[in-house]
Amino acid sequence: MSKPAQNSVLQIRNYSLDYLTVNGVFHALRNIDLEIAAGEILGLVGESGSGKTSLAWSIMRYLPDNAREVGGAIRLRGEDLAAKSPAEVGRMRGKQISMVFQDPGTSLNPTLSLGTQLTEALRRHRGLTKRQAWGEGEAMLARVGLKNPTQMMQRMPHEASGGEKQRVVIATAFACNPQCIIFDEPTTALDVITSRQILDLFLDLQAETGVASLYISHDLALLSRTAKRVAVMRRGEIVEQGTIDDIFRAPRQDYTRELLSAVPQPANRLVETRPSYQAKPLMEVENVSVHYGRKPFLSALTGRAFKRFTGNRAISLTVQPGEILGIVGESGSGKSTLAKAMTGLNPFEGRMTFAGRTIAGLADMDRSYRKDVQLIFQHPDASLNPRQKIHEILARPLKLYGAGDGGSLSHRIGDLLEQVRLPRTHADRYPHQLSGGEKQRVAIARAFASKPKLVICDEITSALDVSVQASIVQLLLELHRKHGTAFLFITHDLNLVRQIAHRIAVMYRGDLVEVVPSDEIASPDRADYTRQLIAAVPALAGTSF
Amino acid sequence: MVDLLKRLLRTPQGATGLILITLVFIVVAFGSWLAPRDPEAMSILARYKGPSMTFLLGTDQYGRDILSRLLIGARATVITAVVATLAGTLAGALIGTVSAYLGGRADEMIMRTIDAIMSIPNLLFALLIVNLLGSGSVNALVAVAVAFAPGMARITRSVALSIRKQDYVSAAIARGESSSYIILREMLPNVIAPIIVETTIRISFAVMLFATLSFLGLGAQPPATEWGLMISEARQYMHISAGILIWPSLAIAIVAVGFNLLGDGLRDALNPRTGG
Repeated sequence: MSKPAQNSVLQIRNYSLDYLTVNGVFHALRNIDLEIAAGEILGLVGESGSGKTSLAWSIMRYLPDNAREVGGAIRLRGEDLAAKSPAEVGRMRGKQISMVFQDPGTSLNPTLSLGTQLTEALRRHRGLTKRQAWGEGEAMLARVGLKNPTQMMQRMPHEASGGEKQRVVIATAFACNPQCIIFDEPTTALDVITSRQILDLFLDLQAETGVASLYISHDLALLSRTAKRVAVMRRGEIVEQGTIDDIFRAPRQDYTRELLSAVPQPANRLVETRPSYQAKPLMEVENVSVHYGRKPFLSALTGRAFKRFTGNRAISLTVQPGEILGIVGESGSGKSTLAKAMTGLNPFEGRMTFAGRTIAGLADMDRSYRKDVQLIFQHPDASLNPRQKIHEILARPLKLYGAGDGGSLSHRIGDLLEQVRLPRTHADRYPHQLSGGEKQRVAIARAFASKPKLVICDEITSALDVSVQASIVQLLLELHRKHGTAFLFITHDLNLVRQIAHRIAVMYRGDLVEVVPSDEIASPDRADYTRQLIAAVPALAGTSF
Repeated sequence: MVDLLKRLLRTPQGATGLILITLVFIVVAFGSWLAPRDPEAMSILARYKGPSMTFLLGTDQYGRDILSRLLIGARATVITAVVATLAGTLAGALIGTVSAYLGGRADEMIMRTIDAIMSIPNLLFALLIVNLLGSGSVNALVAVAVAFAPGMARITRSVALSIRKQDYVSAAIARGESSSYIILREMLPNVIAPIIVETTIRISFAVMLFATLSFLGLGAQPPATEWGLMISEARQYMHISAGILIWPSLAIAIVAVGFNLLGDGLRDALNPRTGG
């Protein structure tokens, strides 16, 4: 803390922020002390609700009306930002401090061309004419590694891919050579391989310009490979800060240790069961294709050509009884589409065989099939009806499938809740009265109510914090051991799936690339795409790959 | 519920609307006790009187007390409007949710039919139905309900379409739930908030539509104290005493404005994003 002040660009001293809400005062930030030197990357890590984003907005001077700054100061090169007038703040933003947001899809205005949005900052802060700014903008886009800058300037946001858009956002942030840039989870919304490229770009530009960067992320593994120093936040306070080595090798606080141990590490296998590959497969998927789109009613009359969108192209795979099969791939690779086809939410072409029975279409999925194949969704908020209490949600599968082993309905609902380690009294609550992790436990309890043979988990941990994710995974594995349930575990988190899956299926743009045993996924004779994927995933510093 | 009321009272529209509508319902419930005179007692000597201590709002062309007629007429006017709107809403909400749930070709057929019906103006459509069924209060009620259903169906469908894509509906389908369970228990409770808002605003339209039907002689029949009918009867005498026409018109305006404000307030109160 007692570093010489002349080198530090951003200095936050004893800063506290409160929000006034209907239910009283909420302390969003308490006694924050941070300092970022020129050319330094400070990683800020914390779970959702820890106040990371509030801190970013305080620095940008963009606080909601109900925010009250209780004490402390934020200084940029010695100037107190809180004392600035709105006009001064307007001149400062983009010129001295800029920000890169999580989702380029929403941080760019869809009605303006990329060039217009990029040159706005140049014209405003550097006083360039339209033509000068346009030329400068093209140079910037070339600098962030976009192949055809002239053409890219003319494009609208929807004509660019997520990675290209994020490059434009980064170019805008660097446009006026600011002293400090805040990166708020800039790669979270992107695919694995793209996010690796964006990260490399960030590191290059950072080294080149020597800007002071505050890199906000929930991904410890990623931070361990980008930042020099890390600050760990929890409930509005900085629990611990120090160099990467100190934090990752010898964490002083329990919370930091907890966070670190919750990060999935592929070397650390969590599953000891071994399914038999000689036995007849539980689920056999043969040449299953899914197409989206319905021929419009009137297009036959107008004679317009109609093209269907392909979600899955001739997928064939098998799941053994009691096996955990991981499915990985980028967004849009058709993972969820396959899950939906297997649970009768999408019509499909091809054939599935489940426990010896042929399923050729939706009509073959009768009650006993639905009882044996259950689906758990990504967002527990969306998969639990907000207007139903937990006991009503859990009573449905019991009533439908009559998986009765005696006892009253309310007693069995209590048992289900206990099985996922929730108190029986939660039955009387509404979903919004539970935390994200608890909601996902309810969704798991609902899926296991019918004692299924195969449970399809569609990204069920990706909406959760690391520590919650770890406990949910533990719960799933416990249920796996207890009931011998087979899992289809769909995720984009390669590290996690390497810990728990027996075999991993890799998908790319609707095709199945390959299915490999998970201990052989890192071997060099894998398919090109698999190798790219493995190379792009950051592993925690100090662990073997 | 208490929470909702608190949020409703925080906005000026909500508070004003709530106060107006509470007053209206007090009149609806206790109007016959509050009325100072017999609404049908005629008096040749006291015709076209202006406001005085005996007749607070004056008298009409037969010497009947306008205030008493208004207080007692509130029940007929407001209740029929509320019932007709509720019936129309319920039918529309069901049609809309079913259409959104079925999707595809069925959805297209239902919605195109609704479009066709909606191309006829509400009043014209209500007139058509009353003409088919014959004039009378009950038939007017049915006419208004039927005229309102397509609009409600359309609004409900747009909300239900987004609910249809929610994972809990997918979960119910994957579980093998029956269509009626999914529509009634999973989807309908979640489309209710915008429907409540729309219903409240539509009640004011219904009050006016009824008044119009009665004015045209197709709703309530004399000597009923329905407000629209009062205006219709007063029309010929407005040059002798403007009060006969103004008071019932004002009463209709208050109810319409009250429900409109209440609807606006509810829209803000039911939206979790506004209101802290």
